[in-house]
Amino acid sequence: MGLLSIIRKIKRKEKEMRILMVGLDNSGKTTIVLKINGEDTSVISPTLGFNIKTIKYQKYSLNIWDVGGQKTIRSYWRNYFEQTDGLVWVVDSSDVRRLDDCRMELEKLLKEERLSGASLLVFANKQDIQGALKPSEIAKKYKYYRKYSFHDIFYPRIKVPLSHSQHIISPRDWYIASLGTIP
Amino acid sequence: MKHAAMLERLSNLHRSRLQQYAARRSDSDAASPAFESVRSFLDHFSDSKRSIEAELARCRALASDPASAPNLKPELENVSASIADLDRLVAENSYFLPSYDVRSSLKAISELKEALDSANSELVPRKKFSFKNKASKKDQCILVKQIEEIKVVDAEKSNPVGVRDSPGFRNKENAVLVKCFRVSEEGEGDFSLSDLNSCEVYLKGRIRALFVHRLRNCRIFAGPVQGSILIEDVNDCLFMLASHQIRIHQARATDFYLRVRSRPIIEDSSGVRFAPYRLFYKGIDEDMKDSGLGEETGNWANVDDFKWLRAVQSPNWCLIPEEEHVGTTNASDREEQCDDE
Repeated sequence: MGLLSIIRKIKRKEKEMRILMVGLDNSGKTTIVLKINGEDTSVISPTLGFNIKTIKYQKYSLNIWDVGGQKTIRSYWRNYFEQTDGLVWVVDSSDVRRLDDCRMELEKLLKEERLSGASLLVFANKQDIQGALKPSEIAKKYKYYRKYSFHDIFYPRIKVPLSHSQHIISPRDWYIASLGTIP
Repeated sequence: MKHAAMLERLSNLHRSRLQQYAARRSDSDAASPAFESVRSFLDHFSDSKRSIEAELARCRALASDPASAPNLKPELENVSASIADLDRLVAENSYFLPSYDVRSSLKAISELKEALDSANSELVPRKKFSFKNKASKKDQCILVKQIEEIKVVDAEKSNPVGVRDSPGFRNKENAVLVKCFRVSEEGEGDFSLSDLNSCEVYLKGRIRALFVHRLRNCRIFAGPVQGSILIEDVNDCLFMLASHQIRIHQARATDFYLRVRSRPIIEDSSGVRFAPYRLFYKGIDEDMKDSGLGEETGNWANVDDFKWLRAVQSPNWCLIPEEEHVGTTNASDREEQCDDE
């Protein structure tokens, strides 16, 4: 265990952070990561496996792991839990039917010991779709998690529009200054 | 019999252990020096320890000179890295070292770490990077505000979340359902089709997202979807769809005529077939272009089956032979009915 703690310390010195993007399929994980990175999002196939992006932000270096959300590959999520500093749970705010599934998947995830100590962000994505649930409504759905001693559900007030002509506010700030800790 | 089998198992076990041992040895040979002799390891260890201590002393000397202050931080980081190397060295050689030597080496390393930490805090009085504490303090104020906001919203809203449904056609049987989306009003919304039996559905105009759930024996013809389409649990249907992304789950014996910018995927499906999109209504060309779907990418045939990760063709899907294609479907005459939802 001594070695592990040293590596952690070195990592922290370098201000390197590992961020895991997970959520149901069709929630927009890859789109968000590419958007943050300023890349073209017009052709994105459903993720078979995972993508890694390293983004420099201020003095931090963020390793963002974008893991596919299809049912078949959800069981592999746990392979990515080790050493995760931040967990971003992406929710498709327009998918009302699967909102409960979505919450249950997160609940399963949070029982993982290896995630303890990581920060959690619930990202209410697709706010630009008319009729999508508001972040406050999603938060209400998730407030159940307060029993897990989260500070609270936190959500960015950001649109990630589809056409890349539109400008988005960089959501990078909250990757750094994030939120609740998984017990 | 039993006895012989057991002996064989044991000898296999022994062989595999020997192999593992050999593999481990060659691994560690490549990675870092393995000593296999306590004496030489201890010599090397004390050399490294001395040089790290010397480095630390040098850092302290540097600190007294203000001109060299900026160099201090990288120096200390180097020291930290060499301590980590030393720690790894001990870990890798611990399998042959007497436990006393392992203990004393680890103790020496932890003393070095302590010395480094105190040097760090004395010489570089910088903010320690703390991820959780700082964030939580700042965020808690914001969060408290948000909790309050949420409470206000909760109080205002009488209908609970989950009851509200997005626009769509639901629970119909033997019906022809038509919906025209006008860009100015509903062009940017989502639409759902669920629990339909033996229906024919025409969706004209542009939408942002389409959700399809539990359809039996239906024929669906839709204009361009600017975002994604999610299909779950459909049997004996025909779909004509255009979208940026298409995900198909639990489909059986269903034909898809697609135009799609990315690769369509299927999961837990069987007997699904694919062909290119052939839909016409007045103004579809503009709708397609405005939705970024003006060009045929040929991706309708590049289907990924998440349940079939082998290189050979998945048995769950195939292309529709050209002579079986339904041909261009003209939806121009389909008018929205007044009694639609």
